[in-house]
Amino acid sequence: MRRTPLVIVGAGILLAFVPRLGLPAFYDSLLYLVLHWVVLATSWNILSGYAGYFSFGHGAFFGAGLYTTTTLLARYEWPFLWTLPVAALVAAVLGVALGAVVFRVKSVRGELFALLTLAVTFVIGTIVVNTPLDGGQGVSLSSVPVPTVGRSQSATFYLLALAAATLTLLIAWAIFVSKLGAGLFAIHDDEDAAEVMGVPTYRYKLIALAISCALAGMAGGIHALFLSYVTVGEVFTITVPLTVVLMSVLGGTRHWAGPAVGAVAITALMYSFTAADHAVAGKAAIGLILIAAILFMPDGILLRVQRLFRGRAPVGGPHPSSLPQAGERAGAREPGEDHPLPLAGEGRGEGVRSPTIVAGNVILRARGLHKSFKGVRALAGVDVEVRQGEILGLLGPNGSGKSTFINVVSGHYRATSGEIVFEGRSLVDEPAHRIAAAGIARTYQIPRPFAHLSVLENVALATMFGGAAADPRQAEREAMTWLEFTGLEGKALARPADLNLHQRKFLELARALASRPRLVLLDEVLCGLTPSEIDDAVALIRRIRDQGSTIVFVEHVMRAVMALTDRVVVFNHGELLAEGGATEVMQRPEVVTAYLGKAHA
Amino acid sequence: MPGFTLPSASLLAQSILSGIFVGALYGLMGLGLSLSWGLLRLINLAHFAFAFLAAYVSYQLAVAGIDPLLSLVVVVPAFFAIGAGLHWVMARFAVTPFNSLLLTFGLMGVIEAGIQGVWTADFRKLESVYSHMKFKVGVLYVPIPELITLVLAVGFSFGVWAVLRYTDLGKALRAAAEDAPIAAAFGIDQKRNALLLAGTCTALAGIAGVCLALSFTLAPAQIYAWVGVVFAAVMLGGLGRALAPLIAGTLIGVSEAVTMAVTAPSWAPIVSFTLLIFVLLLRPGRAA
Amino acid sequence: MLEVRDLQVAYGAAPALWGVSLDVHAGEMLCVVGPNGAGKSTLIHAIAGILRAGGGRIVFEGHDITRLPPHRFCEAGIAIVPEGRRLFTGMTVLENLELGSYLPAAKARRKQSIEAVLALFPVLQEKLASPAGELSGGQQQMVAIGRALMARPRLLLLDEPSLGLSPRIVHDVFAAIRRINAEGVSVLLVEQNVVMAMEVSTRAYVLEEGRIVADGEPAALLARPEIQRAYLGV
Repeated sequence: MRRTPLVIVGAGILLAFVPRLGLPAFYDSLLYLVLHWVVLATSWNILSGYAGYFSFGHGAFFGAGLYTTTTLLARYEWPFLWTLPVAALVAAVLGVALGAVVFRVKSVRGELFALLTLAVTFVIGTIVVNTPLDGGQGVSLSSVPVPTVGRSQSATFYLLALAAATLTLLIAWAIFVSKLGAGLFAIHDDEDAAEVMGVPTYRYKLIALAISCALAGMAGGIHALFLSYVTVGEVFTITVPLTVVLMSVLGGTRHWAGPAVGAVAITALMYSFTAADHAVAGKAAIGLILIAAILFMPDGILLRVQRLFRGRAPVGGPHPSSLPQAGERAGAREPGEDHPLPLAGEGRGEGVRSPTIVAGNVILRARGLHKSFKGVRALAGVDVEVRQGEILGLLGPNGSGKSTFINVVSGHYRATSGEIVFEGRSLVDEPAHRIAAAGIARTYQIPRPFAHLSVLENVALATMFGGAAADPRQAEREAMTWLEFTGLEGKALARPADLNLHQRKFLELARALASRPRLVLLDEVLCGLTPSEIDDAVALIRRIRDQGSTIVFVEHVMRAVMALTDRVVVFNHGELLAEGGATEVMQRPEVVTAYLGKAHA
Repeated sequence: MPGFTLPSASLLAQSILSGIFVGALYGLMGLGLSLSWGLLRLINLAHFAFAFLAAYVSYQLAVAGIDPLLSLVVVVPAFFAIGAGLHWVMARFAVTPFNSLLLTFGLMGVIEAGIQGVWTADFRKLESVYSHMKFKVGVLYVPIPELITLVLAVGFSFGVWAVLRYTDLGKALRAAAEDAPIAAAFGIDQKRNALLLAGTCTALAGIAGVCLALSFTLAPAQIYAWVGVVFAAVMLGGLGRALAPLIAGTLIGVSEAVTMAVTAPSWAPIVSFTLLIFVLLLRPGRAA
Repeated sequence: MLEVRDLQVAYGAAPALWGVSLDVHAGEMLCVVGPNGAGKSTLIHAIAGILRAGGGRIVFEGHDITRLPPHRFCEAGIAIVPEGRRLFTGMTVLENLELGSYLPAAKARRKQSIEAVLALFPVLQEKLASPAGELSGGQQQMVAIGRALMARPRLLLLDEPSLGLSPRIVHDVFAAIRRINAEGVSVLLVEQNVVMAMEVSTRAYVLEEGRIVADGEPAALLARPEIQRAYLGV
C-alpha cells in the first residue's frame, strides 16, 4: 500500500513533461481543465464522499479562493503564487466557521445539509456581487503577469494544476489509509454508533471540511488567473457542486481515486461533445449517465471494476491486501484456547486511567437515575451497583426500563437527572465517545455494524477508537485476535450483510471487546438465536468474563440468565423491583406478579 | 455598503404587489415539490425542468395560435403521466430519498439539453392575448398574466388542501406518509396512491410552467434560477403541506420585492437563501 | 375460522417463528401468551399481513391469504390494534376512525360504525377533533380499538393492549374487548399480562422462543409449570 504515494508522485513528474511534446495550446487547456476538476472532485470527496455529508456548497469555497486571489492580484498587486496559500486559508476558515455551527445541529444531515450548503453558496455569491469585491461587472485580471513556470501560459497553468492535483491526490490517499479516514467512513455508515465507539465525530468532520475547502480554495486561486476575467455568475452557482457530485458518484465516492476517475471521464466526454459541436447532446449524455449510475451502479465505476478484478466481496474503504497475523501462531485453534489474550484494561492509549481495582469492588454506581422522554418516564430513579468481575443480569417485563438504563450508561441518551460513577469518575454528562474511552462498551439489540466496511475493519475501528491501537495496521492485527476469540476469523473480509444473525451478534461482541473495556453492556444479545447458538454464546460470554471484564446484560432468555448470572436486578415501570441471586429473586411474589400480571380487582 | 433609498409610497405598493405575484408563482412551483418530498419522501429536482418544459410547450402552442390557458388541456394529462412514470421507475429501483436528489438532477440536465436542442438557447417570449393586458386599481397596475398566475396558484393550493384535508384519498396519503405498514393494514394501497400523487405533483409543475411562460421570458439556463428560492419557500413552510408553499412563497416574494425597491435588485437572492439557512438551523425538525 | 399452519416468519434477519400452528374458532376469544422475545408480535403482524410469512399457511374463512399483498388483508375481514397503538398522531381522532373504514364495504357503514364506537367509548365524543397524539395512553388505546372496529372485522387482533396503561384503564379496555367479543367478533389477543389474559379468554396458547409449547384451558395452563418456567426460568 505504501507504493501508492510513490505512484502518484511519479505520475505527476512524468506528466510534467507533457508540455514539451509541443501539442497545440488547446490540449494544454483541456488537460488543465481535467486536472482542475480532479482537484475539485477529489477535495469535495474528502468530506462528502468519505463521511457522507454531501455538500452542495463546494462552489462557495472554490469561489472564496477565486475571489481572494482576484482581490489580492487586482487590488493589492501581490505576486500570483503567494496568493494561493491565502486563498486556501480563506476558504478553509470559511468552511470551518460554517461547519462549527452546522455540525452541532444534529438533525441537519443528508438532504438538509446539501440544501443548507447550497443556500450558503448563493448568499456568499450575492454578497460578493454587491460589494466592491466584484461589484457586478466582474473583475479583469488581463493585466496581471502570469509567472513563467512553463514554456507558455497554457503550459504554466497546466503545470500548476498538475502540482495541485498531485498534492490533492496524495492528501486524499493519506486520509483514506489513516485513522481519520477510518473514522470518516464509520461516520458515513452510522454516525451515532461511531460516536459511541469513540470516534470524535465533530472534530473529524471539521478537519475533513477544512482540508476539503482549503484545496478547493487553492484550485479557485489558480482558476482566477486562468480565466483572467472573473464573474460571480461563473462561480457561485449550482454548476460547480453538481459537477463534482456527478464526477464523484460516477467514479466512486468510497475510494480516494474515484472522483479522479469520474473527473477524467466526464471532462473528456464534455469536451469530445464540444469539439464535435454537440455541446447540448453532451449535457444530455451526462445527465443520462448520472441516471444510469444511480439506478444500476450506486457504488460507482471504480468499485465495480475492482470487484471484477478482485473477484471477492468488495469492501469500500481501506483494506489490507493480505490478512494480518495476530501474534505468533501456527494454524487455527479453538477460539479462546491457548490464547495470549490481551487482558481487559491493559495497553490502553492515552487519556484513559486504569487504576488498580480490587476484585469484588463496585466499579459502576448509578444513583437516582432518571430518564424521561416527552413526559414518559422510562427510568424513575434507579440505584444500581455493579461489582468488578461479576455477571449482572438486568431483567423486567417489556417497557420496564432495562434498555433505557443501558442507553443512558453508555451515553446514547443523556440522563434527565441522577449520577453515574465509573471507577471513581463521573460519567453522567459525558458524550458517548468519552464514555467509550473510559472503558465501557456496549452491543446493540439489533446489530448495527458499519455496512460498507468488512468484518475486520469493523472490529479494527473499535480497536483504534477505543484506545487500544494507534494506527490502522496495528488495529487490524488486534482485530484479528478478537475475531479469533469469537470464531469469526474465517469471515474477516466479508461484509456484515453476508453474515447470518448469529455471526452478526458475535461481530457485535467482537467490536465491543476490541476496545478492551472493563465493563461490557450487552443488550439482548441472545434473541433470535437457536438453542445451540445460545449455548455457544453463553460459553463465549463466560470466557469474556474470565479474561477480566465485568458484564451487565439485558436478557429475556431465562435459561441463559439462570446459567450465567451471579446476580440479577429486576426493573418494573422504570424502578428497581428486586435484587439478588437469580433463582431466589424470580420466585419472589412481587416479581412473579410483575411478569405474569395480576387479576384485576 | 449598499445604498438605501426610500421609495415613494406608490412605488413601494407596486413593488409589494409584484412581490405577491411572483411569490404566488414560487408557491405554485413549490406545491408539487413540497407534496412529493413530504408525502413520498422523494426530492424531485426535475420538477423545475418539467415546469420549463411545460412553459416551452405552451409557448410553442401559442406560436401556433393556441391560447395558453387552453394548452393546459394538453399539459395537465401529459405531465401527470410523466410524473407517475418517473415515480414508478424510482419505486421499482428502490431509490433512496438522497439518491432521488441526484437522479432527478441528472434528469434535469437531460431535459434542459432537450429543451435547448429543440428551442435553442435564445430567449423566447410567449405572446398571447393576455400579454399586454392590465387594468388599474387606484394607483396600482395589475397585469393580467400575473393575475392569472395568482388565481391559479391560490385555486390549486386550496384545491389540494381541500383534498388532503377532507377526502379519503388525502387522509390516506397523510396516514401512509406517517406509518405506511399500519396504513396498509387498513386497506390503503399506497403503491397506487403514490403514483396518483406523483402524477399530480408533476401536473402541478406543468401548470406552474404555463404560468411562467405567461409572465417571463424563457431560456434553458433559467431553470436553475428558480431552484434555490422555491426550495426556500418549500422548507420555510414545512413539507407535505398544501397552503404553506403559497404563504411562504408570498412572504419571500414580498421581502425580495421590498429589498429590491429599497436597495438594488441584485440583493434580492440574499433574502430567500438567508431565510432558508435560518430555517434549516433553527427548525430542521419541520422537514422530512 | 382462522387456521395457521407451520408458520415461519423472520423479523428482519432474525427468524422469529419456527413453524407455528394454531386455530381460532368463530366467535371465540383466544389469547397467545409468552415471555418477551417469544415472537408474539411477529405472529400477530404476520396474521395482519404486515409481515410476510417465509413458510407455512394462513387460511381465513376458507381462503388462503398467505401470499396476499399487505393491503388486501383488511378486505378479508381482519383488523389489528397494534402494540403501542400506532395511531396516525398527526391526524385527529375522527380522521383516525375514518381511516379505519377506508375500504368501500366499511365506508358504506361509516356513520353507524362511528356511533357504535362512541357508544363503546363515550369519552371520545368530545375528543373527536383533537389530534390523536395529544390523547392520554388509555384514550389512545380506545381510539386504536375504535379504528380497528371501523373496518367491521370478523377477526380482531390485539397486540399487548395493556402495555403502558394503568390498571384502571386496563380494566376498562378489557371490559370493552369482552363486549366486542360478545357481539360476535372473534378476538385473538396477545398479552404479556398472563393472568389478565387468561381471565377473559376461552382458550390460550403459550408461545416460547418462536414455538407453541402448550395450549388449552386458561385456568389449567396457569397452573402448569411450563408457564412458570417460560416466564420466570424457575
